[in-house]
This record gives sequence, C-alpha cells and structure tokens, in this order.
Amino acid sequence: MKRRELFTGLGPSVCRPEVRRMARLIPNARFRTQDDKEVRFYDDLIKGRQVMVMMMYANCETFCPLATQRMVELHHQALARRMGKDLFMVNISLKPHEDTPAALKAYAQMHKALLPGWTFLTGDQYDVDTLRYTFFSHEHIGIDLDADQHAGSMKIINDKTGRWFHADVFASNRTVLDHIQWSDTPKSLAERLKDNQKLQQQIDRERALYGYRKIA
Amino acid sequence: MSQLKAGEDQRDTDEAREAGEAQSFRIDRRTLVKSGVIAGAAAVITSKKTAVFAQGYPEPPPPPEPPLSCDPRPANSPPTTPFVDDLPIPQPAFPTILNPAPTKFANIAAGEAARDAHQAWDRFPPSVFYQAVAAPSLHRFHRDLQPTYLWTFNGQYPGQTFLGYYGVPALVRFRNNLPIDHPVPGINEITIHLHNGHTPSESDGFAGDFFGTGLWKDNHYPNVYAGVDEYGGIGDPREAMRSFWYHDHRAEFTAPNNYLGLNGSYILYDQKDPGHELYAPGSLRLPSYYGLTDIPLQLHAILFCPTANGRNEAFITGAVPGQVDKWIVNGKIQPKLTVRRRKYRFRVLNTGPVKEWNISLIGSDGQQKPMTVVAVDANFVEEPFEITNRTLNIPVASRYDIIIDFSQFAAGTSVYLREAQPQFVGVPTPDPAPGLPIENVLMRFDVVPREPWFPPDTPPIPDHLIDMPPPIVPDNTFEWRFTRDGSPVRFRINGQVFDHNRVDHVVLKGSSEEWVLANDVIAGNWTHPVHIHFEEGRIISRTHTTRDANGEIVSVDNVPLLPEELGRRDIYRLPPQDRLVIRLRFRDFVGRYLIHCHNMNHEDDFMMVRWDIVDSVEELTRRRREIDERRMLAGLPPQYANGNKKGRLV
Repeated sequence: MKRRELFTGLGPSVCRPEVRRMARLIPNARFRTQDDKEVRFYDDLIKGRQVMVMMMYANCETFCPLATQRMVELHHQALARRMGKDLFMVNISLKPHEDTPAALKAYAQMHKALLPGWTFLTGDQYDVDTLRYTFFSHEHIGIDLDADQHAGSMKIINDKTGRWFHADVFASNRTVLDHIQWSDTPKSLAERLKDNQKLQQQIDRERALYGYRKIA
Repeated sequence: MSQLKAGEDQRDTDEAREAGEAQSFRIDRRTLVKSGVIAGAAAVITSKKTAVFAQGYPEPPPPPEPPLSCDPRPANSPPTTPFVDDLPIPQPAFPTILNPAPTKFANIAAGEAARDAHQAWDRFPPSVFYQAVAAPSLHRFHRDLQPTYLWTFNGQYPGQTFLGYYGVPALVRFRNNLPIDHPVPGINEITIHLHNGHTPSESDGFAGDFFGTGLWKDNHYPNVYAGVDEYGGIGDPREAMRSFWYHDHRAEFTAPNNYLGLNGSYILYDQKDPGHELYAPGSLRLPSYYGLTDIPLQLHAILFCPTANGRNEAFITGAVPGQVDKWIVNGKIQPKLTVRRRKYRFRVLNTGPVKEWNISLIGSDGQQKPMTVVAVDANFVEEPFEITNRTLNIPVASRYDIIIDFSQFAAGTSVYLREAQPQFVGVPTPDPAPGLPIENVLMRFDVVPREPWFPPDTPPIPDHLIDMPPPIVPDNTFEWRFTRDGSPVRFRINGQVFDHNRVDHVVLKGSSEEWVLANDVIAGNWTHPVHIHFEEGRIISRTHTTRDANGEIVSVDNVPLLPEELGRRDIYRLPPQDRLVIRLRFRDFVGRYLIHCHNMNHEDDFMMVRWDIVDSVEELTRRRREIDERRMLAGLPPQYANGNKKGRLV
C-alpha cells in the first residue's frame, strides 16, 4: 500500500500550510456583510476553505427563500458540526443596489439563517456580475445576462483542492449532502479504502432491503 | 475495539467470498470446456494466448509536472503550420493478465471500487482481459506546439482502441492513477461508460459510481447482441453495433475530464464485419484492416494557451470553454494521411465536449466529392447513402462510419476534409483548393498509387447492408421534455434536474416503449444531442413546432427524416421546438441507466435523469407506485395510472 501511495503522489502533499489555489480564478472583490463589515471575497471568505456559494436577493419571493430554508434545514440536520469550522456558506445578493446590509440581516433573521459560518454579502453590481459569470457562465449571451438563470445552483468551492463543484439546492437532502461530501478534500488512501468498504456494505444492505440500488 | 473486530470479521467474510468466487470461476471454465460449448472453449483458448502479451506493457513513465496556470483567456491559440504531422492511428489495446484475478463480487480487499455483483458473469464469463490506467501524460498536438498536459488512458491520446469480437466477453480493468493534488479543473475520480454498449448496469459507468485515485474497477463487457433472452446464444445478430467509444462519465465533471483526454474507441467485429477484407461467408467485405484501411477519426477541439514553463496547455477554467479554436483529429492539428487509390473506411467520432461538427469532402478542384455513410452511431444503415451536396452533421458523441473511394482521384492529388466552422491557423497559407480557406480544413488526404504490398481494393459497397430487426411494437409511451425553465431557471428534464438518488422512470425488462423526446425551449437556441444509455432506438417521426413572438403555436409540421435518422441511433439531435418519437426495447440486463444531453456542459449542469430496468411485474408495479408517491409528496401529478400490470400510461 505504501508503495502505491508513493507512486500516485498521495500522502502528505495534500496538506499545505499556505493554500491559495484559486486566487487567480476568483475575483477578490470588496463586499459588505450583513453586519456591515467590509470583506474581501477571496482573501476573507474563500482562501484555504471549503465554501458553499449561493445567489439570492432579499425581496425574492420565489426560489431564494426556499433555497435558504433548505440550507438552514440541512445545516441543522447534518452540517452543524462542520459549519463555521471547515465548511462555510456565502449568500451573494443579486440585487446589491436594493439589499443594504440591514436588509440582508433582516432576511437572514426572518429565515433563522444567522448561523455560524453563514455570511450574506452585498456590494457593487459589477462585482456581483463578475462573480456570477465566473461561477455560472454558460458562454451564452442572453442567458448569462439574465439574473434568474443561475440561482438555485449552489457552487461549492474548495480552495484546498483548487476545484469548484456544484449542486442543485432543490435535490433531496441526501443528494445535496452527497454533493457537499464529494467536494471534500480527498482523504488518504487508507481512509478512502475504508470508506469504499463501507460503501460496499451499504450497497449489499440496500440490495437485501429493497432489491435494487435505491441510493446511487 | 469492537469496531476493529467487526472490521476483521468483515475482511474474513470478504476473503471467504472471494475464495468461493475464484473457486466457482474455475469450475465454470472447466464445465464449459467439458460441455464443449464452442464460445466457451474459444474463450479459454484466447485467455491462454493472452499470456504471450503479458509483458506488452512498458513501465509507466514518471508522471509529468502539473501545468502552470494559463489565464487570462488567450485571444487565440498559437499559430500552427498546416499538414506537417501525419495522422496518428490509435494503438490497439493488448490483452493482458490481471492480477488480482477479476471476480464476480467487488474485490474490496484488493482496492476495487464498491459495486454490485456482475450480473452477466455466469452467463458470459469474461475471456479477454485488458487494463486501462488513467494517469497524467504529456501529448504534443502539433510540431509547432509545446507539450500539453492531459489525462489519458495508458499514456496515449487518443486512448487505445479495444478491438473485440461478438461472443468473446471482455473485461477491462480501469485503474485510477490520476494525481490527488492537481491544478486542472477536471476531477481525479472516474466512472467509465462504454457508449453505447449493451452493458449490464454495474459496468455501465453510472454517473454517481465514480472511484478515486488508487482504486480500480472491473467493467465487464459481455459483447453480446441485444436479445439474448429471446434468441439465446449471444443474441440477435441484427442488433449488432460496431463503433463504440469509452469515456469518463463522472457527474459534474464529464466535460473537463473528457476535454483533458479521458476517452478512446472500442470496436466490435462479427461475421458480417469480421475485421478483414478477405472473402468470408456473410461478410460485407467493407474496408476493414484496422489502422490500414479502417481508421478511426476522433474529432476534438481545444483552445491552447502558452504557460511560463514552456508548455501549451489546454485552456480551461471551471467550465470547458465554448470558444475553442483548434480542430484536432486523432490528437493532431490539421494532420495529413497518405492514402492509396482504393476504398477506406473512417470511423468518425465526435468526442465533444461541446462542439458539433459539419464535415464534407472537398477535392483539389474545390468541388465537393462523395463520401458514403455505411453506419450511424455504431449501427449499419439498411442502405448506404452518399453525402454529395450537403455537410454531414455530427453531434457530440455521435459516430459515423464513412467510406471514401480514393480511386476516383488521380495519384498525386490531395483531398480535404472540410469543417463548416473556421478554426484559427495563424500561419498565412494559400487556399488549398479554390473556395476552401485553410481555416476550414480538418485534415488532408494525399492520394498515391497502391503499392503491391498494400491490400487490394474491396468489392463495391453492397446496396443493402443489413436487415433491420423487426419493427418495435410499444407496450407503453413516455415523454421526456428537455427544457430550460422553472424557478430558478435550470436545464431540466421533465421539470427536474439530475439527482443520482432519484429514479424518474421504471421499465420492465423485455418490454418496449415509445418515447417522445421534446425540446420545449421557447427562447434561446439550445440544441440537445440526447443520449439514451443501453439500447438503440428507432426514430419514428420528427415534428417541429413554429411559434410566433408571443409563444403561440403557429403550426406543427412533420419534418422528413434525414437518411442518417432512418436507422438505429443512440444520439438524437434535438433542436429547439422539435419533438422526436422513438421506439426502444429493454432487454437482457437490469439496473440503473441514464438519459442525458450529451453536450457535456449541459450534462454537468445536471441535464440528466436516471431510469431503471426491473426484472418482474411485481417489482415494476411497486417501483412505479414509489415514484408516484414521491411525486405526490412533491406536489406533482402522478406519472402512472393505478399501477396497472402493464404499467400503461394515461
């Protein structure tokens, strides 16, 4: 096992003291939080972290409250142990000219979303658009300009691995949690082999219970 | 402590299971030989032969330095001189001996990824074994370009071609040696799909079944025709498919992983198309010597950018770029191929991830020359047809087998493959033919006389290639609507985005269904190349809805089918406002399969659904009731009425 670890470059190289993997990809724009504190998007919120990023706006009456509610639910169900420690949640306002920090705070309070690890951001429209194109662009003029197009899709940025992932917030709880877990920093080979064994047990259990692979 | 003990117990049971498995496998082979089953005997002989090739794999080279960042996005790729590199031919894969030996149940202790037991293992025990190692490597796309960092199988781009025979079940061990820490936006977790093999679901590369670095997985390809249950033996020969390709199918990351090179060809031969051109009973005698007169053409498009360490990397940020500007055939930009004055067969494959191709053949006089299409998406067409006055449209993941007769050209002349969309060349070059800018040229064929050692020309292409399987009488109908709508606006199929844990449709093994594929996009110009895993479908009709500015329907017109849509297909091109009626049968194997848009950026944005094949009517009824209950909880109308036995829809 050790030889294979050496060969495939697994092992200690995963943990690095200074992680700045995605500094060149992600804008380091200035935003204001719901507490009216100025932050730099990359330096203060992303660097070296695993962060879920969603788009919303306070006056939204359709999917934003549902999405927020959904994530609050998940927070209490499964993520509370990690949130604020190695997992963070950032909500960026799509209509920053309407959403003052106070409005965001009211929105967060209304949805009981003032939780550890949660940040609501407002700032300059240009910065918001830049971020939205960075994460959600389909290279399709007309689609990318429309504010409604990319909400509900949550990006999960892991700066330690230098990749971003995405998940549909409205999928089942289990699926959203799967996607968050898929974005975790890879574990060591030994741990992953152990997880693999657990997965096989789960597959066998499902087969015995339902006769088919209910959960993928 | 107790946990540790439990772990040990588990290991013990695993070992016991493996031992039992190995034992049963041995018995299986012995009984096969004893009973004198021809296929079985042939299989054993082949597996002994493989010992000769066991040392065929060289030591893997040390992994290359990972690429440096190459942003901002370059305006264009570096210039390249046309027609300096020869067209590379993907190397055929060598069979090998696998250690540890493959098993029916996942060999967890040895590092195999968790999976279901191979469901076709006892019926079609594998007799040819291959290994494909996914690992980083460097590849030069052109003489004028510096090496590019790619992820490839067995260190080669395009990946090695698997050449197989119907009736000779194969097993490919996909090993994942991708680096765990890397700067490219692809992901080091893979699940390999054989597009569009008649493959049991645990080997089909389900999008959520990926495995990480250091693990491996055995994909069992029975290499049988569809209809084994009905016809016995290896199925109905009329269901033969020939040109497949294998590629990564990891949810969220299919596009970047394919852009980085994780794909290759897979070809199956049978009596009709035996892989040689000599006389053989039942053979069509098409040009068939792999690498000599039967050449895969894998089309790919990349935007290159120079980096500080003197490489030319494939540009990619989070998503695969839409604005690619170098056309690549078999891993070379604008290559040339020396052809003899005889017929050649080219298996054209669009490896995507996004670009659609429109190719045609242009002579040195600037006139379009005929090329004959004999197979569409791996299936022979009933009657071959010529492309003489239009371009051949190749959606992502589609394959076309075309035959070009170079004896119509004088020796010493050149013929060009033209792509409708211009690329960036950057080196001033005169037009190779009147009216043909160099930017539109994919590759060049240089015609020379046939040398004595070269195989002589094959007989004319038969007018009638195959008899189609009998028409499908559907038991059910079902509709799949491909949209970009809802709140929030997303790519959706039947109003929902992909959830690997959710089943959207259940069908009965052995049944057949009529499916409607509808692209209901009102605004925008999204064309979706829809791919249905597992079974080939027949297109029954195509209708186009014309709407006015307010979205009101003006007219619904029947669109005549193109010749390439008359046969069996696995990619259905679906322009906006088109409705396609197709018929499919679901045979032989059960499990989880997918339908998705094969524009891989859309696919990664979850334009995909999971559907399952089940074994019995009871299970079908139960599973359909589950789906309807789930839909009712979500406030959606039920899909099935009263869960009746046939599962007929209302």
